[in-house]
Amino acid sequence: MIEVEHLTKWYGDVRAVDDVSFRISEGEVVGFLGPNGAGKSTTLKILTAYMPASQGSVRIGGHDVLTQSLEVRRRLGYLPETVPVYTDMRVEEFLRFRALLKGVTRKELRRRVEAALERCGCLDMRRRMIGKLSKGYRQRVGLADAIVHDPPLLILDEPTSGLDPNQRIAVRELISSLGTDKTVILSSHILAEVEAVAERVIIINRGRAIADGPPSRILQQIEKGSLVQVEVRARPEQLEALLAALDSVQSVQVDASGSDWCRAEVRFDRVEDFREQVGRAIRAANLDLRELTSPTASLEDVFRRLTDPERHG
Amino acid sequence: MTGLRALLILAGREIESYFLQPLMYLVLAVFLALNGLAFSYSLVDMQGNVDATVRSFLGGSILFWINILFVPPLLTMRLIAEERRTGTMEGLMTAPVTDLVVVLAKFIGAYSFYLALWAPSVVYLLVMKSYGALPDTGVLASSYLGVLLLGALLIAIGLLASAVSPNQIVAAILGVVFNQALFWVPMLSLKMPHGTVRTTLEHLSILFHFDNSFSKGVLDSGIIAVYVIAIAISLFLAVRAVESRRWT
Repeated sequence: MIEVEHLTKWYGDVRAVDDVSFRISEGEVVGFLGPNGAGKSTTLKILTAYMPASQGSVRIGGHDVLTQSLEVRRRLGYLPETVPVYTDMRVEEFLRFRALLKGVTRKELRRRVEAALERCGCLDMRRRMIGKLSKGYRQRVGLADAIVHDPPLLILDEPTSGLDPNQRIAVRELISSLGTDKTVILSSHILAEVEAVAERVIIINRGRAIADGPPSRILQQIEKGSLVQVEVRARPEQLEALLAALDSVQSVQVDASGSDWCRAEVRFDRVEDFREQVGRAIRAANLDLRELTSPTASLEDVFRRLTDPERHG
Repeated sequence: MTGLRALLILAGREIESYFLQPLMYLVLAVFLALNGLAFSYSLVDMQGNVDATVRSFLGGSILFWINILFVPPLLTMRLIAEERRTGTMEGLMTAPVTDLVVVLAKFIGAYSFYLALWAPSVVYLLVMKSYGALPDTGVLASSYLGVLLLGALLIAIGLLASAVSPNQIVAAILGVVFNQALFWVPMLSLKMPHGTVRTTLEHLSILFHFDNSFSKGVLDSGIIAVYVIAIAISLFLAVRAVESRRWT
């Protein structure tokens, strides 16, 4: 569906996008993740044929975005970061206008507009002036505009920015439902959002794609080992000796809080679930166990580790 | 989708948007007031000479020139600059329409409103007719042709100004300044010795175009060609200006 090869974009002396390549197949829901100013929007603007790349090529559905831009745009539903709605139009009127502009036939018009209004929860706002709508509803109208011509590809730039938590969840659900029959690319700097809807994440930082894959696999790539936390009724040195004797252990840290329970953090040198092994060892030593967990790093940790220059080194 | 279909849809929206802006009703009111005054003064000044009245009303009075030089930039200032500022241009330029269609649609929209501004002036002529005073058809037709051609040119220039400006205020100022230059610079020829420069400037003077051709009922294909070419160049440059925003 989408083939991006060695995409580079210069703004004067600034390299906003730096040799980014990826492929997205039909039906995928892909999240672009990156801090503000990382090059997400620029990449999306190039994908939507709004802006040309300085170097590299983008093909969408086999059409080059530069030379066959109209073909690309016909297959595309795009929600830019600033929602492009005319404030002097009514919601329904705007969607009719946009649908016609994007090639919906007069015969199909009513049905398509109706479907878009319904899907984006704008049915009760159809007669309202767009200028009088709240930010959340404007965002929904923008989404309705993106889907009104039923395009196979949706590109959504920060679709939930400026929304309150309830609206965010609603938009997220909408995107998930759209993802069942469309290819969706969305960008965000909010991790939970991408994690919730996207089956694949591309992390962009300073113009470069620094990670690409399902969230779980990115975690594995980034995580050097795994961690198990236990709370056991034992003397600290007894617990430490027990845990240190396990296979693949890198380090053991025991925290004796004074009572007869003590907590320990065991770091292993591989990415694997070591909880069973730890549990078995404790049971074999006949000790009481009241907690055994393996905290997995969230995408948030990964993101911060990858994009925070101080931690990154 | 054919370009023509997109053009009609976009132009329809453009025309509609004029009637949704309060400012445009103010422009309409002021234009009609000035135009009415221009007609009354012309009628009084020319003491019943209908052809002279038409000449004065369409090209020979100060009020005519104020109206025609200042109103088009007000009609066009918003067209591209405002869409770019509010971000709606991005929606337009990622829809399956070419930049040429976008620019033409905006031109058609503004020009339609310009025609709407002039349409009531036909009533004045009907009033004259009801008094049995009929102007020469040739003078009338060519004077209106002048109004239509000059209007189209000034709107194309205003559209270009809007395409290169960061906001509508700058676009309006740019349009007004350019129109003033278009009117006054060729006037320098009056102070010049006879020669090529003077002749060239005279050929470029929109005032002289009316004095020597449109207002006389004499059609000069050279002058008409100059207008058509200038309109085409302005629109072409506007398309390039819209495109160029993609490259930055």
